[in-house]
Amino acid sequence: MKKIIFTGYLFSTFMLNAASAVKLEGGFKVGPAIILITILVLFIAVGLMNRAKDTSDYYAAGRSISRVGSGMAIASNWMSAASFLGMAALMYGSGYHGLSYVVGWTGGYVLLLILMAGQIRKYGKYTAPDFIGDRYYSQGLRVATACVTILISLAYCVGQFGGIGLMFKWVMGLDFFWSTVIGSVVVLAYTMISGMLGVTKNMMIQYVIIIVSFLIPLFMLTFKFDYFWLLPQIGYGAAVTDIVNGIPAPAAADMINSLGHDFAILPSPEYAMPWDASTGQTFFQWMAIVFSLMLGTAGLPHVIQRFYIVPRARDARWSVVWGLFFISLLYWSSPIFSAFGKILSSNPEVGSLAPDAIVVYTAQLGNIHPLIVGLLAAGAVSAAFSTVAGLLVAGSSAFSHDLYFKVFRPDSTPKQQMMMARIATVLMAVIVTVMSMMELALIAQLVALAFSFAAVTIFPLFLLGIWWSGSNKKGAIAGLSTGILVTIVSMTYFIAGKSGVVLPAQEFMNYWLGPWYFAWIGAPLAIFMNIIVSLMTEETPYEIRKFLVEKVHT
Amino acid sequence: MEEQKDYRISFFKPTTEFSKINRNLVIVLILIWGISVFGFQILLRIMEKPTPEKTLVTFERVWENVKAGNASTEEKVEFADCVLSVLGKSTLAAKPDKKAALNNALSWVVYDLMANDSLRSNFIGEISSFEKRRSELSDLKDPEYVSAKAEIINKVAPILNLEDYSLKAKLIPLELRSAGMESFSQENKDKLHGIMSLYLTHNQSVLTDTVFLGFPFHYFYTAVFLLILFVVLCWIYSFMIDRVHTRMGNFDKPKVTN
Repeated sequence: MKKIIFTGYLFSTFMLNAASAVKLEGGFKVGPAIILITILVLFIAVGLMNRAKDTSDYYAAGRSISRVGSGMAIASNWMSAASFLGMAALMYGSGYHGLSYVVGWTGGYVLLLILMAGQIRKYGKYTAPDFIGDRYYSQGLRVATACVTILISLAYCVGQFGGIGLMFKWVMGLDFFWSTVIGSVVVLAYTMISGMLGVTKNMMIQYVIIIVSFLIPLFMLTFKFDYFWLLPQIGYGAAVTDIVNGIPAPAAADMINSLGHDFAILPSPEYAMPWDASTGQTFFQWMAIVFSLMLGTAGLPHVIQRFYIVPRARDARWSVVWGLFFISLLYWSSPIFSAFGKILSSNPEVGSLAPDAIVVYTAQLGNIHPLIVGLLAAGAVSAAFSTVAGLLVAGSSAFSHDLYFKVFRPDSTPKQQMMMARIATVLMAVIVTVMSMMELALIAQLVALAFSFAAVTIFPLFLLGIWWSGSNKKGAIAGLSTGILVTIVSMTYFIAGKSGVVLPAQEFMNYWLGPWYFAWIGAPLAIFMNIIVSLMTEETPYEIRKFLVEKVHT
Repeated sequence: MEEQKDYRISFFKPTTEFSKINRNLVIVLILIWGISVFGFQILLRIMEKPTPEKTLVTFERVWENVKAGNASTEEKVEFADCVLSVLGKSTLAAKPDKKAALNNALSWVVYDLMANDSLRSNFIGEISSFEKRRSELSDLKDPEYVSAKAEIINKVAPILNLEDYSLKAKLIPLELRSAGMESFSQENKDKLHGIMSLYLTHNQSVLTDTVFLGFPFHYFYTAVFLLILFVVLCWIYSFMIDRVHTRMGNFDKPKVTN
C-alpha cells in the first residue's frame, strides 16, 4: 500500500468511547435528510402511479414484469437492511466464517433456479401456500404453510425496522418510536395502494439506489487507500493480504482516518484464515450454515412469490439469473467495507466497530463526504423498505388469498379479496410496528431462525412436490411436522441458552442444532419422512399427477 | 382410456423427453455446484495445518523462563512484545477474561522492567490516574489526555525497544492496568499459554498462502469466484433450457392459472 495523505477532518457524528464500540450519533443533517425525504416521496409517488386494479395486480403484479425488472426486484427484495448495513460485520467480526453467509445466500439461487423457478411459474399459482395447498390437495397444509409464511414475514419485518430506526435516528435525529411510525406509514401507503405491482416497480428503483449508494463510497475508499480502485471488488484483495501480514506504522505514518489515527495494523491472519479458532467458529458450522442458508433461500415464501410476477416460466428463469447477478454485485462488494473497516479501526482508541451499521462507520472513518454517507443511509432505508414491502405483500397474500379466499370464503368476489388483502397489509404493518417498538431482543434473534425454518418446512414441500409425483398429502404432513419439530427443539434450546436456563445436553444441542443452521439435519429428515410416509400411503390423485406431467414437466 | 396413462414422474425416472434432458442438465450443474462449494472447503480442511505466527514461536522460547521468574531482560522485552501482538487483535475485544489475563501479563512485565522501586511506585500512580482520566473522557483530543498518553509511551516504549509511533507503542497506555501490576497471578499464568496459542495459531496451507490477484487464494475463491460461478451456472441453465424448448418447438406462452 502506497502512502497517501488524507485531508482529515473530524466528524462530529461518531459517538466514541475508548471502552466501547464505535456507534452513530443521531442529529438532524440537512443534506442526508433531503436525500432521505426525496426517496420517501418517490416511493409513494411510484406507488400512486402503479395502483393495483385487481387481485392479479395485487398478488402478482399482473404477471407483467420484465426479466431484468423482476431480477432487480428479486435483488432488492432480498437485500435487507441487515445485509446492506451489517453483512460486512460478519466478516469484520469472524473473518472467513462471515463468507459462509455470502456463499449461502447466493448459492441458494442456483438451487432455486435449476430445481424450482420455471416449474413454480408453470404451476401458475399466486403464493407459496397456494402451490402447497393445491399440490398436496390439503386445506390443512394450505393453512399451515400460510401461517408459516405469515410468521416468517413478521419476524423478518421486525428485523428491518431496526435498520430503518437506526438510519432515521442518524439522519433526522428522530427517536426509534417516530422512526418506526414514519417508516411504517410510508411503506404501508405504497404497498396498500399498489400491491405487488407498485411494490415491484418501487423495488426496481430501490435496487438502483441500493447499489449506487453502496458502490460510490467503495470506489472512493479504494482510491483513497490507493488500491486498484477501477474494480474495487478485485482491488481490495491486496487489502486483505495487508491485513493478514500487517501494515507497519512507518508505511502508514501519513495516512489518517477521520479521527486522526494512522492506518497501521498488526498482522491479523485470523481475518482471512479459514475457521480460525480465535473466532470461535468451526469447519462444521461453516458447512452447515452454507447448506442451511442455501436451502432456506430456496424456501423463503417472499422469494418464491417473485416467480409468479413474470409472464412466462422462461422469464422466471432469466429473472433469477439477473436477480443473482444484481445480488452478487452487492455481495462482491460487502467484504470491501469489512476489510477497510478493519484497517480504519485498527487503532486501539477506535476500538471495534458496532456491527449494526458497519458500512456507515467505515465510510465515515474513511473520511467520505457526509452527503455520500447520507446517500448510503438512503440506500439502507431503500433496502429495508424493499424487503418490508415484499414481506408485507407475501404475508397479506397468504392471509387474504390462502386463508380468507381459499379456506374461509371461497365465494368472495375479487373486490372483497382486494379489500381483505389491504386490511391484512394494514394489520401486518400494525403488528410489525408494535413488535418493533417493544424492541425485544429475542425477536431480532429469532429472525435467525427464519432461514432454517423455511429450509425445513417450505423447501422440502416444493422440492418433492415438483420433482416426485409420489409425494402425497400424508407424506407432506409428515415432512412438515418433522421440520416443525426440529425447529421447536432448536428454538427451545436457543431461547433457553439466551435466557440462562440450562437444559439437558444444552451445549451439545446449541452447537449441533444452532438456529442459523439446524436445517443441515432438519431438511434431509423432513424429506426422508415425506418419502417414507408417501410410500406407505395411498398414491397422489390422478389429476395432480397428470397436471405435473403435462403442465409442469413438459 | 386416459387412466391407462402412467402420469407418474420422478426426478430419477423422467417420463418425458424434456424432463430427461432437464434432469441430466440439473445433475451436471448440481455436481459442479456441490463440488465447487463444498468440495473446495473440504480440500481446504484436509490440506490445512495449524501454523503458528512467528510471535508464538518467540513466546514459546521465552515463556518457561518468564513463568519461572528466571527470564533475562531481553526475554522479558520479547515476552512483552508477544503479549502486545495479541492485545492488538480486534477479535480479542469480545473476550474480556482473556484480555484481562494479557493486561495483567503486560502490566507486570513492564513494571518489572522498570529500573528501580521509586520509578515503579511513581509509574503505578501515573497509570492509575491515566485510567481515571480515560474512564471520564469525552473527547479523544483532550490535550491533557493526549499528553498523559504520550508521556506513558515515551516512558515505556524505549524499555520495550519500540518506536514511539508504532502501533504497539500506542497500545501501551491503553492496555496497562495499575491493579495487579506488581504481580502476575498464577491464574493468569495458567491461562496465558492457551490464549497465546489460540490467537497466534492459524489454519494455513498452500491454498491460503498463495496470493492470487492480491488475495489469499482461498479467500478469492470463496468471496469472488464462487459468486461468479453461481451466476454462470444460472446463465448456462437458462440458456440450455431455452435451447431445448426451441428445439422441441415448445412455445412458453404467458398463462394465468388460479
